[in-house]
Amino acid sequence: MTSMNRPEFYQRLAEILDVEEVKAEDRLKNFDEWDSLSVLSVLAMADSKYGVAIRAEEIRSVVTAADLAGLVEAKQE
Amino acid sequence: MNFSFRRKRISGILAVVPAQERFFIEEMKNFNFPETRSLKLKEVMGFDKHRLVEPGVCVSDLAVFGFEHLFNKGLLRPDDLDALILVTQSPDHFIPPTSNIIQGRLKLKPDTFCLDINQGCSGFVIGLIQAFLLLEQESVRKVAVVNADVLSRKTSPKDRNSFPLIGDAASIAIVERDAEASIIHANLKMDGTRNEILMIPAGGFRLPSTPETAVLNDVGDNNLRARDHLRMDGSAVFNFVQVEVPPLIEALLSQASVPMNAVDYFFCHQPNRFMLQKLADKMQIPYAKMPSNVVENFGNSSGVTIPTVITFNMKERLLKEKLKVCLAGFGVGLTWCAMLLDLGFFDFNNIIEYK
Amino acid sequence: MGFIQAQGSFFKNEARDRRSSGCSNDANMKCIFRNKRINAILSVVPAQQSRFDDERSNYNLTEEKAGRMKKMMGLDRHRVAPPGVCSSDLCVYGLQQLLNEGTLKKEEIGALLFVSQTPDYYLPPTSNVIQGRLGLGHDVICLDLNQGCAGFVIGLMQAFMLLDMMDAGKVVLLNGDTASKLVDKHNRVTYPLIGDAGSVTVIERCAEENAIHLCLKMDGSRHRALIVPGGAFRLPSSPETLKLAEAEEGVVQSLEQIHMDGAAVFNFTLEDVPPQIEEVLSYSGNSKESIDYFLFHQPNQFILKQMADKMKIPQEKLPNNIVGIYGNSSSVSIPVNITHNCGKQLRNGALRVCLSGFGVGLTWSSMVMNLGPLATCQTVDYEAA
Repeated sequence: MTSMNRPEFYQRLAEILDVEEVKAEDRLKNFDEWDSLSVLSVLAMADSKYGVAIRAEEIRSVVTAADLAGLVEAKQE
Repeated sequence: MNFSFRRKRISGILAVVPAQERFFIEEMKNFNFPETRSLKLKEVMGFDKHRLVEPGVCVSDLAVFGFEHLFNKGLLRPDDLDALILVTQSPDHFIPPTSNIIQGRLKLKPDTFCLDINQGCSGFVIGLIQAFLLLEQESVRKVAVVNADVLSRKTSPKDRNSFPLIGDAASIAIVERDAEASIIHANLKMDGTRNEILMIPAGGFRLPSTPETAVLNDVGDNNLRARDHLRMDGSAVFNFVQVEVPPLIEALLSQASVPMNAVDYFFCHQPNRFMLQKLADKMQIPYAKMPSNVVENFGNSSGVTIPTVITFNMKERLLKEKLKVCLAGFGVGLTWCAMLLDLGFFDFNNIIEYK
Repeated sequence: MGFIQAQGSFFKNEARDRRSSGCSNDANMKCIFRNKRINAILSVVPAQQSRFDDERSNYNLTEEKAGRMKKMMGLDRHRVAPPGVCSSDLCVYGLQQLLNEGTLKKEEIGALLFVSQTPDYYLPPTSNVIQGRLGLGHDVICLDLNQGCAGFVIGLMQAFMLLDMMDAGKVVLLNGDTASKLVDKHNRVTYPLIGDAGSVTVIERCAEENAIHLCLKMDGSRHRALIVPGGAFRLPSSPETLKLAEAEEGVVQSLEQIHMDGAAVFNFTLEDVPPQIEEVLSYSGNSKESIDYFLFHQPNQFILKQMADKMKIPQEKLPNNIVGIYGNSSSVSIPVNITHNCGKQLRNGALRVCLSGFGVGLTWSSMVMNLGPLATCQTVDYEAA
């Protein structure tokens, strides 16, 4: 897998969260749509677009969008 | 229904019983009967002591304890198990299957076939039949048949019909292929029209447990039970056993062309000594050939009584000898079944205590 | 120094193998069954259907979130059994119908399997209760098996194995679950997707080889992902276990209800099931193209779409519509999937299908077979007597 294209990642996250834009420092819990359905969409995205599996505990431990991107990136190695 | 099985054998039996003995003499005070009458019952029925689990102990605990004993003693390797059959009426949860919980706790390999079967008094014979079915599959060479129940936890301490008799236990029988094994015959019958003779009315989905189902009621004979508790119609069971079991065993022996006197032992489910002696009388089998001493020592642990009567009475004999035995299970369902097979040259045959 | 003692010391020194979870690389249990066929499948669902839109007000959800959930999970309506109706009632109804219409005769039944996580009682076994209700003979082998999402595939496996041992007779496999009784009406994560159902499948021996291939795995170390913590022997029923609590946003549940780790189950489904599908296809000498339909357990539309994409299976070949019509009825979702989506085709001809049941245990089991033509293949409504 090539190293992650962060802007593309944030764009995909924005689609899941149904917002115009997601910035690296945005806190996930502040998004209206950050709920169990979005979590499933993120898991699906991580699997289909990045080939990695994220655990439930790991998702619960991230705070910002950058954290989430970092989590996915780390698993790609 | 008749079955025969070839090239299979039992290679070891381990029974696990709670360490603590409880005595009828002490529990008598909970019953609504004068002491003298209870003592008379003790003599006739053969009650003395039984083994009950501490609150909170479940079948997976007893089973895991037994397996770890076998692993630690080098009598079984976790990776050698291709299937784990758990026969129980007292599962840890409704979901997931308790056999999977045991698999997880023991870290058994992921191609281990795990199955929970709901059966009781006939559960050892049914568990063996299941093992024999699985061993026909190429990928299955060794099966653990686990029988386990903790029904004392659903038996009213104020029910003198049931409480003195009940026991908790687990057993592990290892079943594997053996090209030299003699043929095994079995006969199994079931009558669901009489299913209410042995039942726990509440707790399943027909009548879920509520505070109301936990209320103790005098059921009309000075015994107190809740609908959450085990209910056994003693005289109906007695009649059932006397009428149905002898013809089944006779038909089995006839099918196998084995005369009654060629059978070394009859290892029957152990409802109580009285019932078994009456059965032996009816079939003209000497008491020595049909041991009936499990209830007075351990209690009636449902599907585990047959493994218990074998391990308790035979001990090391089954390590060194081979015996022709007839197993007979009868009870809940109603189900009655018998199996004729050779037992012997076991790797282990003993009882251990769960603490 | 006996044989046993020597054996003991050899094994004692061997380090016990510690396996990690996520078992994709480990072998499956594999079996082939021959000379067996399914003759009939009948699904029974409660007559009353409830619509997601009518139940929305039970959930703590904004209009917008409700709409999003409906779309993503593929929700619309589901069938929930009325109070007092058990899994066994749904199954008895179906079996009675097959007997009435002559598809099956009582004398032909050699064994009765009841696969459920919602039995009538702890004891006696529900299969015996059913035996009694229908007046089936004393030679019928009745067995209760506890299984969930994989329960149809495992029930078939059991039927095939029994048929090899039985001198005569057919096996009737009953799958039944009323999981709605294990979920609170206000639980917005689980209730909208739940369904109750029963199915009757008749299996028999046949002259044709008709090889059926099975791959199966189980991982009990992850059993907590789908569990009912209380109500049985680990945590007996009490006023405490019946109390409802909000675990997290919208998840209202008591200890006697289904606790699901949604993310863990999702990951498991996406990671562990596709390799097994590859395995069973290869084992049976098939490719994705040679399979007519992939008839899977139906947890929700979203995960099924993800699976189809991941395995590069066209959506038309992997139906995902059952949750939105009937709900997820645990082991019955595969039979309902079959009768609803392929009923007509299977009454008129044969299809090569890949079945897969995955979930509680955790268990995942997949089977490839030629299915059909079937004497019966339909879905009926349960009408109380």
